[in-house]
Amino acid sequence: MTAFVVVDHVDQAFRLPNGQSYVALKNINLEIQKGEFVSLLGHSGCGKSTLLNIIAGLAKPVAGGVLLEGRQVTQPGPDRMVVFQNYSLLPWLTVRQNIALAVNKVMRHLPAAERHDIVEQHIDMVKLRHAADKRPGQLSGGMKQRVSIARALSIRPKLLLLDEPFGALDALTRSGLQDQLMQIAQTHELTCVMVTHDVDEALLLSDRIVMLTNGPESYVGQIIDVPFARPRERLNVVNHPNYYALRSEIVYFLNQQKQAKQRKVKQTVAIARNGLEKINLEIGFVPLTDCAPLAVAQEKGLFQKHGLEQVTLSREPSWKAIVEGITSKRLDAAQMVAGMPLALTLGLEGNAPTPIVTGMVLSRNGNAITLSRSLYEAGVRSLADLKGALVNHPHQTHTLGVVHPASMQNLMLRYWLAAADLDPDRDLNLAIIPPPQMVATLKSGNIDGFCAGEPWNSYAVNEKAGYVIATDLDLWMGHPEKMLGIREEWANQYPETHLALVKALLEACEYCDDRRNREEIAELLAKPDYVGAQLDYIRAGFLDPYDRGDGNPPELLLRFNQFHVDMANCPSRVEGLWILTQLARWGITAFPRNWVDVIDRVNRMEVYRAAAQALDLPDTEPNRSSFALFDGTVFNPDDPIAYLNGLPIKREIRVEEVNIDQPAVVVAA
Amino acid sequence: MATNINTNVRSAYAPNWNEKVNKVVRRTVPTLVAVIIVLAIWQLLCSGPDATLPGPLQVLEDTWDPLIIDPFFQGEGTDQGLFWQIAASLKRVAMGYALAAVVGISLGVLIGVSTLMFDALDPIFQVLRTVPPLAWLPISLAAMRDSQPAAIFVIFITAIWPIIINTGVGVQNIPQDYNNVAKVLQLSKIQYFTNVLLPATVPYIFTGLKIAIGLSWLAIVAAEMLTGGVGIGFFIWDAYNSGNISEVILAILYVGLVGLLLDKLISFIATLVVPNEMS
Repeated sequence: MTAFVVVDHVDQAFRLPNGQSYVALKNINLEIQKGEFVSLLGHSGCGKSTLLNIIAGLAKPVAGGVLLEGRQVTQPGPDRMVVFQNYSLLPWLTVRQNIALAVNKVMRHLPAAERHDIVEQHIDMVKLRHAADKRPGQLSGGMKQRVSIARALSIRPKLLLLDEPFGALDALTRSGLQDQLMQIAQTHELTCVMVTHDVDEALLLSDRIVMLTNGPESYVGQIIDVPFARPRERLNVVNHPNYYALRSEIVYFLNQQKQAKQRKVKQTVAIARNGLEKINLEIGFVPLTDCAPLAVAQEKGLFQKHGLEQVTLSREPSWKAIVEGITSKRLDAAQMVAGMPLALTLGLEGNAPTPIVTGMVLSRNGNAITLSRSLYEAGVRSLADLKGALVNHPHQTHTLGVVHPASMQNLMLRYWLAAADLDPDRDLNLAIIPPPQMVATLKSGNIDGFCAGEPWNSYAVNEKAGYVIATDLDLWMGHPEKMLGIREEWANQYPETHLALVKALLEACEYCDDRRNREEIAELLAKPDYVGAQLDYIRAGFLDPYDRGDGNPPELLLRFNQFHVDMANCPSRVEGLWILTQLARWGITAFPRNWVDVIDRVNRMEVYRAAAQALDLPDTEPNRSSFALFDGTVFNPDDPIAYLNGLPIKREIRVEEVNIDQPAVVVAA
Repeated sequence: MATNINTNVRSAYAPNWNEKVNKVVRRTVPTLVAVIIVLAIWQLLCSGPDATLPGPLQVLEDTWDPLIIDPFFQGEGTDQGLFWQIAASLKRVAMGYALAAVVGISLGVLIGVSTLMFDALDPIFQVLRTVPPLAWLPISLAAMRDSQPAAIFVIFITAIWPIIINTGVGVQNIPQDYNNVAKVLQLSKIQYFTNVLLPATVPYIFTGLKIAIGLSWLAIVAAEMLTGGVGIGFFIWDAYNSGNISEVILAILYVGLVGLLLDKLISFIATLVVPNEMS
């Protein structure tokens, strides 16, 4: 069945006074089902109103077209009624006359009495009985917009188009009208397209949010499904566990678009010097205690020492931002969660595979699982208690936050839950929330706990919002946590630069693991350029005894943040394989039948070895042997598929031959 | 104290008569003072033995009987009371102006809705509107061969330009929103004209009409001086020719007052017709 409304490859361009043309929209494709509420969201000037006008038929696209119920839209018509931002009421007509003008024109086949009833009924619907004989000039903005909505609905349009309907109203009026529109849309099962720039409004009202990129040549950048059940209530929506995750995803998209606009102005050109292909690097990191090696390499001049004279560290709001930065080539390199290089290479969340290589592990351990205070009060002290609490309250959905699907936090939290026979997708709900927002979300009660790196656990403990039920030392001591990630194509283009970067960071990691330096590093990290958190929270675990906030005295965990010792920096292939099994276990990626090939391509041992040898550091890889996590299940790297099959709780596992395109070899200049 | 507050409250909600009278007095006193001063200066300037013009007292004395006290006097030919003189002029203005309003609004709408018509006609209008009213008189006299219609034609041709141009601008400036509403509702041409175009243009039309009435009144006096017959313009010319400067001055005063009243009249009609909450 074809969709109710089809926007088919629409391009729109305007002629500029100087004779050139400005391409506003490029290749817009969109399908809208009957009864669906779709929002168009984007920055000012992204062409969202232009798109709405094209659907309304008020503007003709230069290419492509719009179909309504299979018929092409060629001109404006009452079946696609528009609610304009500035109300567009005729000021010389009263409220009743304004509505009647539309009804009398569009429904002229009906008897006069029936038309009269329709007008009166819609005046009542928007509760304007008392103002029916007033002219628009005597009404407030909110009332005018209600008239406009009543006028639009009175002629029973197939499609209701709203162009920033509440943009000019004050917050209180706006929320009242949003509720009213939501109710009307729900009772009449309207198909609506609304242009807005208000994220909360879009989330409240829409079934889908279509986000447009910035012009020129705007296109549909991302479509977000809003899963909140209907009928909706404002409070239920705002308190929904996914609300903040969705909201932050949208805000993130908008921010990216804003940055993209600024970036277009400054274009980076590779500067070659010191025998390196590129000495101006932009490296992304997420504000966490374990960004220490990057901070140290920058502040202690280790990048310079290895010839990388112009390194900029870019503080990113979330791991998603890191992924975007790397795939869009905005970032040269980035701190990545350990599953990310493999997951991106295989293609994450249905995206095209982006081959990523990693030359070193930046840090190990450093995570903890924090649960909310209310679970503590319910007596949850161990995994078994947690299971008991979940089983005793089957009607209550518990949500835990993780930072990224490919993060060790996600994989290990799932492993931990599954070890207690809890299915992380069925018995609870896992939500993706950027680390810096974790504590706020926990405090607001939208999640019941999270697994994240420091300082966010200590922050939650200090705020008395939660307590640490387990650190990753309890789960898998010495697991790889953060890695240096680079696009494969970049690594092939700038091999010497890559080596220099790994050398600089290896030295930084060595510096970080000397406990005499930790005091200095903690102070460095507390600066707003890096983590920007209170020094005490950064010191916890990193330097000071770790307080779990569960009443037990703080405990000194020497390996809580491991940056260098014990072959910490080696991108071990066995660990990579374990990560592959877990990504497949939870359906995040397929399991590659050619895993040896994939891991060799991602975990670049030769870069690590060359860098370690140049620095006179040990370059050995840990033995290729079986190992077990806290629950004792043995992982045999020679038979990962048997291991996967032996796991009781898992999603459907896809085992496929994964062909990553052979990248074009670029000869460095 | 309490009484004070009470009156204040009442006056804020329903201004009583006292208030209104106060307001009128406050606004008229300065006007009266200014008029007296102007009259005094005039009297002073014209009181010398060599004065060529009469002073105000002289004017009053010369024209009191019969012009001022009997404006409705009816005599032979052009020997009529001032009321009839002015009425004759007003009649001509009314005819020319009404004609100009009808034709002007129609042409204005035409150039407003059609770019083709605008491109074709606007340059012509721009040239013709700068022609001084009296320059039309010889042509119209030649064409009509009669002074009465010729004077009306001068009024017509003087008044029409501001009406055309303002109406045209008004149509072109109809907010796109209103047009969009009309398009989405698929209003027919006639429905569009009566429901959107005309109401949206009314304020502009009245701006044109107001300018036009002023110009018409300016033109009629000049036209009548040349065409003769009953009318305030010829009355002035006639009085000058018979050396009766006092009558000239009195007539000028009347012309000014009537012009003011005409302007106020059109403004008043505008307040009745134009929706006061155009926004």
